[in-house]
Amino acid sequence: MNSDNEQFLIQPVSAAPRPTDSSASQVSLQELVPGLVQRWVDRGGQATTGQLNRSGNRQWSIKVPASSLADFCRHLLRSLPLYLITMVGLDERERSGSYRLYYVFGVDKSKEFLVVETEIKDGIPGSLLYQSITPLVPAANWYEREARDLFGLIPQGHPDPRRVVLHRHWPDGVRPLRKDFDGAYQPPFVLDDDEFRNRTGGEGIVEIPVGPIHAGVIEPGHFRFSAVGEQIVNLEARFFFTHRGVEKQVEGLDVERAVFVVERNCAACTVSSTLAYCQALEDLGGTVIPENAAYLRLVFAEMERLYNHVGDLGNICAGIGFHAGSQRGLFLKEELLALNETLLGSRYLFGLIRPGGVRRGLNHAGRWALREKLWWLREQNTKLVKLILGNDGVVDRFTNTGVLKNSSAFHLGAVGVAARASGVDRDERRDHPYGAYQHLQPTSIPVLQNGDVYARFLIRVEEVNTSIELLLQALEVMNQHFQEEPTLAVPLGDLPAFQSAFSLTESARGSNCHWLMTGPNNTLYRYRIRTASYANWPVVPRAVLNNIVPDFPLINKSFELCYSCLDR
Amino acid sequence: MGFFEGLARIGFAIIQIGFVLALAPLVQGFIKTLKARRQFRLGPALWQPYYDILKYFSRGEVVSEHTSWISRVTPYLVFGCMAAAAGLLPLFTQAPLAFAADLIFFVYLFGLARVFTVLAGLDSGSAFGGMGSSREMMVAVLVEPGLMLVLFAAALRAGSTNLSDIITRFSSSGFNTFTPSHLLGAAGIAILVVAETGRLPVDNPDTHLELTMIHEGMLLEYSGRSLALMLWATNIKQLLIISLAVNLFVPWGVTASLEPVPILVGLLFYLLKVLGVAAALGLVEMLRPKVRLFKLPVFMLSAFILAFLAVIADNVVR
Repeated sequence: MNSDNEQFLIQPVSAAPRPTDSSASQVSLQELVPGLVQRWVDRGGQATTGQLNRSGNRQWSIKVPASSLADFCRHLLRSLPLYLITMVGLDERERSGSYRLYYVFGVDKSKEFLVVETEIKDGIPGSLLYQSITPLVPAANWYEREARDLFGLIPQGHPDPRRVVLHRHWPDGVRPLRKDFDGAYQPPFVLDDDEFRNRTGGEGIVEIPVGPIHAGVIEPGHFRFSAVGEQIVNLEARFFFTHRGVEKQVEGLDVERAVFVVERNCAACTVSSTLAYCQALEDLGGTVIPENAAYLRLVFAEMERLYNHVGDLGNICAGIGFHAGSQRGLFLKEELLALNETLLGSRYLFGLIRPGGVRRGLNHAGRWALREKLWWLREQNTKLVKLILGNDGVVDRFTNTGVLKNSSAFHLGAVGVAARASGVDRDERRDHPYGAYQHLQPTSIPVLQNGDVYARFLIRVEEVNTSIELLLQALEVMNQHFQEEPTLAVPLGDLPAFQSAFSLTESARGSNCHWLMTGPNNTLYRYRIRTASYANWPVVPRAVLNNIVPDFPLINKSFELCYSCLDR
Repeated sequence: MGFFEGLARIGFAIIQIGFVLALAPLVQGFIKTLKARRQFRLGPALWQPYYDILKYFSRGEVVSEHTSWISRVTPYLVFGCMAAAAGLLPLFTQAPLAFAADLIFFVYLFGLARVFTVLAGLDSGSAFGGMGSSREMMVAVLVEPGLMLVLFAAALRAGSTNLSDIITRFSSSGFNTFTPSHLLGAAGIAILVVAETGRLPVDNPDTHLELTMIHEGMLLEYSGRSLALMLWATNIKQLLIISLAVNLFVPWGVTASLEPVPILVGLLFYLLKVLGVAAALGLVEMLRPKVRLFKLPVFMLSAFILAFLAVIADNVVR
């Protein structure tokens, strides 16, 4: 039984070229894209290119017909080491009588983006077809299935035709993100069978269903293991149990009001998410935020990273019942949350970021309090790591558990800690610097090759340290250059209607990408949230393979992904 | 044995069994409170296990329609086994049911309870029950030989397989008890106590992570009165295992007489010893993470080897 091949239904057909060496020379889209498109057109293909310049990040946008989408992507991937950042569906029938899909690609070691855009003419139901790129880019799996669930756009040649966002109890034909769907409508609950693929059936293989309701207070997620004895040969994970319709909700809202919905999409990454949303708006409006606000944003983002990472370090220990470590981690996290509340009025840093700047600043006393806490935390972090990694039993459990292979991490589009622990060197703070990160960079971005729980643990440890240093530097700059009460924000101004923009920020879990399109009068026309958890969940089943069942909670905690980031 | 002597024995047995039944949740509460304090938490009340058991007794019970008689019988059977075992063990004086206190009988009362718990875990057909059962059997297979060997080593030295005789004999021989064989056996049983009481690093009794459970996994389908009995039985088993270990290997205070003063002194010693071991178990839980499931054999094998050495040492160095 070769579970490795059986489980992985989505293999890249023609493996995309990959940067073999992390120090590979930079790829310049500027030089390559026009030639590539020209060659495509010469061969009889259709494509039109455009170019945009947004806050230092150049974007290439290429329009291709839906029927040759995958062919064109294959053509591109032969020469360019692209990775998928996000994919957005858009219902534009009112304006142009068609649906649109945007595939946003990034290039490692480059600040440029490439957006492949396609148009699907509205017609008789069932004719909304386009060529799926999932066989080519496995990371596109969920995005394309989601576009089918929410818009009814059918990816042809997609290897996994099951639903993903709307479970089977949603009636057929309900397409919540279409413009003519009333967000207040509550579809009836249709009882239907589960649709699990029993791809690993056979003698001695036991299916273990876990969740969506768990023994602890955990968000809903269903994990279906196929195991031989204790060894996991397949894991199917299903999420999206509590679809909230956040993206539908903000459509038509004023951008300044929508920010209150956006920031509450997920508590653990509220700063980085709101930041990405606001940056996208500021890109569109050409708003230049006060430098003081840019530094404050960096401070908030790093404070968010700190409490998340410190809490995660402890929480990983809970997966193996190591109480000394998990309680210590909880204690440190609580100290940081309490600090957040004292300094900024919110334990989880809600309500700090707004379009055009920030809502609250830090006075001298606050900066000092933060600095002292950071010194304290630097010591405490060392002690915590000593306590945890000084225990041979812990190290034994961490090592070689839940290995995520470098190739899986790359092809499935992993981001953040999960990617960096598996040798995929990506960090938005360095790759696409935003705000104050253009001036201040983390001293180092740790990257490890092993991809096991231990590696993910070490990456977090190191990032706590670099975050502390970065924060201290930022405070230094603020003390030297900024008064106590400078302007915190500037007005956003009028945004051009029906323009799209996206922005990437690095949260504690990895890159968050927020894509938005404006409507008339500073409203939102379409908004697409892709947080780090959305990108990383598909890699968890890969990391779990061939481990034993009782190690799953540990592996899961080492990724520490968020469920509500999926239930948008 | 005269009629009145027999009656007195029955009365004594009832008192001792009642004592163990009443004390067992307290030991559980003590370990929990101790752990909480070590973690800088307030933790649940010391009496919480009593409240829990009382609460479950007053709650309604949900029984899956897919279960057989095994699920219904098991809680009573397991509880009965534990209560019977409580009468067989000399705690601070000779055992009330000393005539039946054969160590093989004692160990296999636990075995019977375990087999039925495992069957009940399988009975409901839930995935977690099945996983718990298979893991429990794996642990049982590893624990039992070690435990039997430790007890046999003690029996060889005492020249009897009657627990009551062994322990009272050890306690009356003072420091001469501490032969190499005795110390090896004590080291072996220290490991086995952790495994048999289902504590870290073997099993995590406090976890909510279903996939890692061993003992808790088998009880997941129980509710109400059955759950109360199963939890209580688990507490009793924990106390009995601790008592067996301390009285066998630190037999001070166990008296052969039935006079009130030695019995009171014995009682005091007994409580101190039990709380000492309970504290040690709590501390180990704080300091050790759960060992990887497939490394358990190595852990248990060390207990078995120690027990084996205890038997050899008994014959070589006397």
